[in-house]
Amino acid sequence: MTDPTTAGPESLFGPDSQFHRFFDDPRWALAMVRATVLEAAHPQIGAALIDSSTFVTHPWRRLRNTLVSLQRMFGADEATRQREAARLNRLHARLSGTDEQDRPYDAMDPQVRAWVVATLFESSVTMCRLSGQPLDRATMERLYAEFRAFLAAMGDRAGHLPPTLPEFWSYYDRMVAEELEGTEALRIILYRLFDHLPAPPLLGGLPTVWAAGRALAGPAIGTITVASLPEPFRRRAGLPEIPGAQTLMHSAYLAAGLARFLPDGWLRTDQLAGLLTLSPDSDDPRLATITALRARMKRAGALVRLVAPFPVQRSPEGAGGEPRRSAEEFFSEVLDQTGDGYLSWPDLAGMARELCTRLDLDEPAETRLYTAFADWWRELQTALDTDGDGRVSKDEYAVAVPSLAGPALIRVAEVLFDATDADGDQSIDAGEYRALFRTGFHRTVAGAEGRYSRSAFVQDFLAFMAGRRYSTAYDPLLTGA
Amino acid sequence: MSAASLRTRPCHVACVMDGNGRWAQRRSLPRTSGHRAAETTVIDVIEAARTAGVKWLSLYAFSTENWQRPTTEVDFLMHLVRRVVRKHAPLLHARGIRCRFLGVTDPRIPAALARDFADLTTLTDANRGMTLTVAFDHGGRQDIVEAARSLIRSGVPADAVDERHFASHLPFPDTPDVDLVIRTSGEQRISNFMLWQVAYAEWMFPPVLWPDFRAPHFLECLRTYQQRDRRFGGVPPHVNGDPRP
Repeated sequence: MTDPTTAGPESLFGPDSQFHRFFDDPRWALAMVRATVLEAAHPQIGAALIDSSTFVTHPWRRLRNTLVSLQRMFGADEATRQREAARLNRLHARLSGTDEQDRPYDAMDPQVRAWVVATLFESSVTMCRLSGQPLDRATMERLYAEFRAFLAAMGDRAGHLPPTLPEFWSYYDRMVAEELEGTEALRIILYRLFDHLPAPPLLGGLPTVWAAGRALAGPAIGTITVASLPEPFRRRAGLPEIPGAQTLMHSAYLAAGLARFLPDGWLRTDQLAGLLTLSPDSDDPRLATITALRARMKRAGALVRLVAPFPVQRSPEGAGGEPRRSAEEFFSEVLDQTGDGYLSWPDLAGMARELCTRLDLDEPAETRLYTAFADWWRELQTALDTDGDGRVSKDEYAVAVPSLAGPALIRVAEVLFDATDADGDQSIDAGEYRALFRTGFHRTVAGAEGRYSRSAFVQDFLAFMAGRRYSTAYDPLLTGA
Repeated sequence: MSAASLRTRPCHVACVMDGNGRWAQRRSLPRTSGHRAAETTVIDVIEAARTAGVKWLSLYAFSTENWQRPTTEVDFLMHLVRRVVRKHAPLLHARGIRCRFLGVTDPRIPAALARDFADLTTLTDANRGMTLTVAFDHGGRQDIVEAARSLIRSGVPADAVDERHFASHLPFPDTPDVDLVIRTSGEQRISNFMLWQVAYAEWMFPPVLWPDFRAPHFLECLRTYQQRDRRFGGVPPHVNGDPRP
């Protein structure tokens, strides 16, 4: 019916696409988790995730970036799509290496990228099947065509995804039966991410409420996801069969499916994600409307703690707003973006990636920023890696910390200033500031009368990075979950 | 406030909870049991004040000088206060009482206790029934020094500072002046308590020890207060030998 090689891409994307009907569907959250697990089970993707991804420590940031990216790719505007595809290609081109068994991985490998798209498509189909509303053949064909066009828009030959649906299913079954493995990334997602999922920035002040909810929801999401995976893969990867898991999984999909009866506009995935990743310090107007709710939740949290017989003892964080953190805290909260306990290039690349995404940088600004971070990494490595294992441990950092505002770090500050200063007038105005920090000047820049000078910017950046000062601007940017 | 406040109910009552140690000594009990017995009085007085329509109640629980007491007693007090706060938090909240803690800056205060103080403050923050200020690790002079620091930091010119302006830099600047201070056990000292706010307060020194102090004593103090003639340093109606210009 719909052949993606003949149909123009315009007809496959945009607000009328099948993809957009799914995008705001609450079942899609479950489907996305499932797709991510299937992606992580691919040995190459699993290795890339383990090495470079910041999703364990910053899952909410990652979620928001993914949703924004998907929206751009499936949006109506062709120019936006091409720009986003180019950006994704640059991002993926920076992700390559070898896994623990010295097998190479490369995020640009067309096979790998085809598998990512395949999991998204298959999980969307499965989500409908599992919630008792299977797609009819025409809709399924249309959806498949859209996802093939998505892959094609990335510049890969569409040939890596089979041209017809029947061929796709045999491709998919073969992948599940032969290629997928019980990778470490898969286990981390299933058993670590959900049990330790950090609170989204918006709920950051309510650790008790969050922990209580997560203790129930975390294992449930893991169980639901496992139960929804293809049976042959579950068997091969040695994933547990839990009694009742299938029923729980079906109920979850059914219940999420019922939400489609809610009035239009009640569930907007992108808005929800945007809201959750909003920093409580932000001056976003939406924040005012939820401040009341937040205050009530805070009180609930306080009451829970007060009546709990053995209260959760949080570390005496900052001891009443101490403006500077210890080297160990700074290492874990800011530098170690991948959360593996070591500082290495992927950590700094993760920072560079987040900054590029925030600022929506094009070439050559993006490469300049990455290069500045790479130079900083070499500077850190030379100064700190005393045992020569190619990475910096927390102890190595803590010992050497006073000597840390080297020329490469100052260069990072300057390059970041240039990238933020989009109009190149040597000062950052409110709009440019908002692009980077998602908040206006008001409290964060002392005495800035509508502009933020290069020297003040560099000074604040260094105070955060080398002086380890808390910052209402940089903390949400680099430490927010 | 002027003559209109004569014979009206006090808006802000403060209690210096004195006599726990002597109460215990008289019974040949350890000092700590006096503190433990004080809990009943605290709850009784809070309840009496609320029902009598007092809008602001302040309790002097622990002064900056109290750190000089024996370590075991200080530890016991910290533990006791924590237990009392946690035990009565839901009740205080249910009664619509807004709780807050004046002081609480010393790092020697256990983090868990400070956390509970913060939680109780958060929990009851929106209540408007009565405001209960617990002065814990409080020193009146310290508050004034802090206000002066904050004033200097804000960079106001010296000429612009008046009483109202200065008071706005004190902790909890929305707290009205204290109308009545009750110090139990017959001791007659200020002991560095809310120095700025007690400037025009009436003082009462009932001889009863704090653990024996109950709602009737409290109401008796309110009655006496209402019979007193408060002048706020203004010219009283009849003054003998007052030189006239």
